[in-house]
Amino acid sequence: MPSVLLVGTPNSGKTALFNRLTGLNQRVANYPGITVDLSVGRFASIPELDLVDFPGTYSLRPISEEERVAVAHFDHSLADPEVEHVVCVVDATRLEKSLFFCLQVIRACQRQRRAVTVVANMGDILRRHGLRIDAQGLSSELGVPVLVVSARTGEGLDGVIERVSGDAPVSEPTLSQLNEDAEPDQLIASEGGDADSALYEEAHRLAERYGAPADVLLQTQSQLDRFFLGSATGGMTFALIMLILFQSIFTWSAPAMDAVESGVAALGGWLLPYIPGGVLRDFVADAVFSGIGAFLVFVPQIFVLTFVIGLLEDSGYLARAALICHKPLRFFGLSGKSFIPMLSGVACAIPAIYAARSIESPRARALTYLAIPLMPCSARLPVYTLLIAIFIPRETLFGGLVGWQGLTLFGIYVFGMLAGLTVAGLVNRFTPSQEQMPFMMEMPAYRVPALVPIARKSVQRAQHFVTKAGLVILSVTIVVWTLGYFPNQGADLGASWLGTLGQWIEPLFQPLGLDWRYGVAIVSAFLAREVFVGTLGTIMGIEGAEENIVPLVEQVQASALPLGSGLALMVFFAIALQCVSTVAILAKEAQSWRIAINMVIAYLLLAWLAAWVTFQVTTALV
Amino acid sequence: MADKPDTFSLWDLPLHTSAQLVGFSATLQDRYQGRLQEFGFHTGEEISCLHQPGFGAPRVFRVSNATYSLDRELAEQVLVTRLAGEANA
Repeated sequence: MPSVLLVGTPNSGKTALFNRLTGLNQRVANYPGITVDLSVGRFASIPELDLVDFPGTYSLRPISEEERVAVAHFDHSLADPEVEHVVCVVDATRLEKSLFFCLQVIRACQRQRRAVTVVANMGDILRRHGLRIDAQGLSSELGVPVLVVSARTGEGLDGVIERVSGDAPVSEPTLSQLNEDAEPDQLIASEGGDADSALYEEAHRLAERYGAPADVLLQTQSQLDRFFLGSATGGMTFALIMLILFQSIFTWSAPAMDAVESGVAALGGWLLPYIPGGVLRDFVADAVFSGIGAFLVFVPQIFVLTFVIGLLEDSGYLARAALICHKPLRFFGLSGKSFIPMLSGVACAIPAIYAARSIESPRARALTYLAIPLMPCSARLPVYTLLIAIFIPRETLFGGLVGWQGLTLFGIYVFGMLAGLTVAGLVNRFTPSQEQMPFMMEMPAYRVPALVPIARKSVQRAQHFVTKAGLVILSVTIVVWTLGYFPNQGADLGASWLGTLGQWIEPLFQPLGLDWRYGVAIVSAFLAREVFVGTLGTIMGIEGAEENIVPLVEQVQASALPLGSGLALMVFFAIALQCVSTVAILAKEAQSWRIAINMVIAYLLLAWLAAWVTFQVTTALV
Repeated sequence: MADKPDTFSLWDLPLHTSAQLVGFSATLQDRYQGRLQEFGFHTGEEISCLHQPGFGAPRVFRVSNATYSLDRELAEQVLVTRLAGEANA
């Protein structure tokens, strides 16, 4: 299908323009081999024409792997005869920043004989401040049309549609004199050095001559930065915003998550009576519906987290948050942008791994992937609650203000966070030294977030999760269910294949003072960590332990399980990467099952070792 | 880091002051120098330090009509000199 390429620098409003031109008719694709979103949509007013939205980049000379893939794909697309037109978006309020890239694009298009139109976005902001750019003068120098538009208000977009829908003439070769000797088929790789210097100078000259003065525009931004980056106000605001973010993941998602769980249960309740009893009904009830519920329940969290992060990003605050966090996280090889994914991981690793997409540095992103599974996610809470109730007395300190149980829970949460940072730091120091990208980030202007596009992106992310990860999670759930159901049709979990597996691996847990029952519960927790409580209850003959843990607590206390074993279990759960949903998402996002499986093995070994040390030390001391 | 007495690193540029970019450290990789130039960090360009958040966080600089934050590692490799009118300031 004929298509138009949409390119531009970051923060030029390119995606807003894409959304305006395509409406709701769009889809997200990925470059092969790497996670870089490529949105494709149909023009709302020209259904026979596709619009392809490339990731924002500052240059056709990439400095990261993501940029390299994006630029290579752009280069390849230009040679595609279906590509009829290139629209290059520049920020009309910061013309010089965009013009260097724009000049590169125009040159590339000229060499491939592709029509190009420059769209100067954010014209409404200029007008509000009584400013303007000389679009006609700029157009005559560039040799291509320059249209001033506002993606936010929609003004000027008719002109863009008119350009891309007609037989636009191929650009005049006004700029080719800057690098006449370059080979047409090496248009991107061959540039650099003197050619780039000439482009820098040209961009600077054009911006000075045709752009708007900047002082007025930067004044408001600087005032807000003084507040958001101030030593006291910046820290407090950051803490407040992160608290809101955390609440959104934990609290605001909860009603929707409950509704999803109830909906799946209701659907099961409606459907199951029509299925004959026996294996088929058990399979549908416990494998299919549990499997579907296991990943659908995360959809609201992913939507809410993506939405809130989208608000922060679109408002311009995310860049400031990354700046504030960069220094302490850099010590561990992480980036300032690692903070939000890691914080999200305290609620759930799955949306957190998605959130790590915003980290440009591949190394920092990989280290963030390493740290996220160690963040104390909410699925660990039922396990900690059970173990703390068993081993930690309900005594309080300071007149009831602080309790030992609460302190223990706080301690295990801090332990998880420190473990995540430590692992990232150690891997960073002891792996072959791939260079760390320095921190250089444009501080985008503050603005009111555009809610509809952010909501649309959040829906797309949730859909991506359902379609890509859901099948894997469902498949693994069915495998684990099958192991637990056969050969005795679910009558006795201890005698099932899963139970047999637990008894086989009992020697692994004996050094921690745990018998086969805990081994089975740990193995079943690979479905989801919280399953540990229910499984242990089932094995010990207590139904409904998930809802009421008291009988299970009393039974374990009566069995005289040593304190060292309880603490070892807590440490094991704090480190082990057991959640199959997390593993599936890791594999998808890292584009490698090998990495995901290596992480599972490494964290299991580390978890066992740390648990063994905990058991030995506690046994020696108590 | 300074090559000449009047030349100092961008990291050492005091808050709310401006300087003129004179070049880059020889140890700065080409690709990062290229990206800075794409941002507008050209020789002769005036650069202002707008914000210096505490605890060693990256600092915010204005170049032309845009603002960027650079960490210490990078800003120390950008060399600047006092503006002509502020030579004795």
